[in-house]
Amino acid sequence: MNFYDWMLALHLLAAFAIAAALVLYSVLVFNGRRMESPDQTKFLFRIAPIGTPLIGGGSVLALILGVILAIDSDRYEIWNGWIIAAIVLWALMGAIGGRTGKYYTDVQKLAQEGGEGAQQEVLARLRAPTGALLHLGTVLVFVLILLDMIFKPGA
Amino acid sequence: MPRTHGIDLALFVHVIGAMILMGGLVTAAGAGIIGWRDTGGGLRRLSALTLFAVALPGWIVMRVGAEWVYSKEGWDDVPDKLQPTWLGIGYITADAGGIILLVALILGGIGVRRARSGGGAGLLKASTVLAAVLIAVYVVTVWAMGGKPN
Repeated sequence: MNFYDWMLALHLLAAFAIAAALVLYSVLVFNGRRMESPDQTKFLFRIAPIGTPLIGGGSVLALILGVILAIDSDRYEIWNGWIIAAIVLWALMGAIGGRTGKYYTDVQKLAQEGGEGAQQEVLARLRAPTGALLHLGTVLVFVLILLDMIFKPGA
Repeated sequence: MPRTHGIDLALFVHVIGAMILMGGLVTAAGAGIIGWRDTGGGLRRLSALTLFAVALPGWIVMRVGAEWVYSKEGWDDVPDKLQPTWLGIGYITADAGGIILLVALILGGIGVRRARSGGGAGLLKASTVLAAVLIAVYVVTVWAMGGKPN
């Protein structure tokens, strides 16, 4: 395996880390919408931190390694349309993902504050479509990046 | 060697299945490990159900995609001896991993049934351990598929 092969393997592993976090969040969002008591919501917030290093580290590594691959490659250039599209989509995914993360972090803070009113509000926010739609948006942009990486339009 | 665009769709199916599988395994192992010492079995049940509802469909899509790519790239016509190492790693880990996943699903399924009457914790923990082992196996597989060592 040469340098390019190693970078490609690590780039792919970084993409899998992002995907793993998105699947984990999907399971939590799906389960969160079906919660009926405040006690049930507690375990969602215990699992969610697993996704943080996966999506954070994976996103940064995928971008850095992707840029290294584009520079090292004889066949592709960093200014190729499909690579620029991937970088724009990566930024978009970060923006939507950031908003999704903030939405659920606020819900978690509310859950930790306690109180009867707060707990009912937590359930209502978990059931509300806002968080789920933001998460769906993040997943859709990730799938677009994956399609772009595999089909390489224009290459 | 650059690959042709003819396999793009098959490769997309293979990769998206593998990503769903890996995500299901990470969620299942994470929930099982975090809920390891819990007296209530909520997280262990979530672990087993995630294996069934997420990891299993992901494995099926990944395996169908793998066979589709294999066929499209014409590996059927290449003698086994001449096939590259990374392809062998992919086949062995996908199929052996499928058997381990099946065992984890059976253990988890029985564990979830027994959990209704207060038992099954040991079976659910065993299912979690197998999910964690599969993550390690599939990290090596993703590395091999990406770097294609020969």
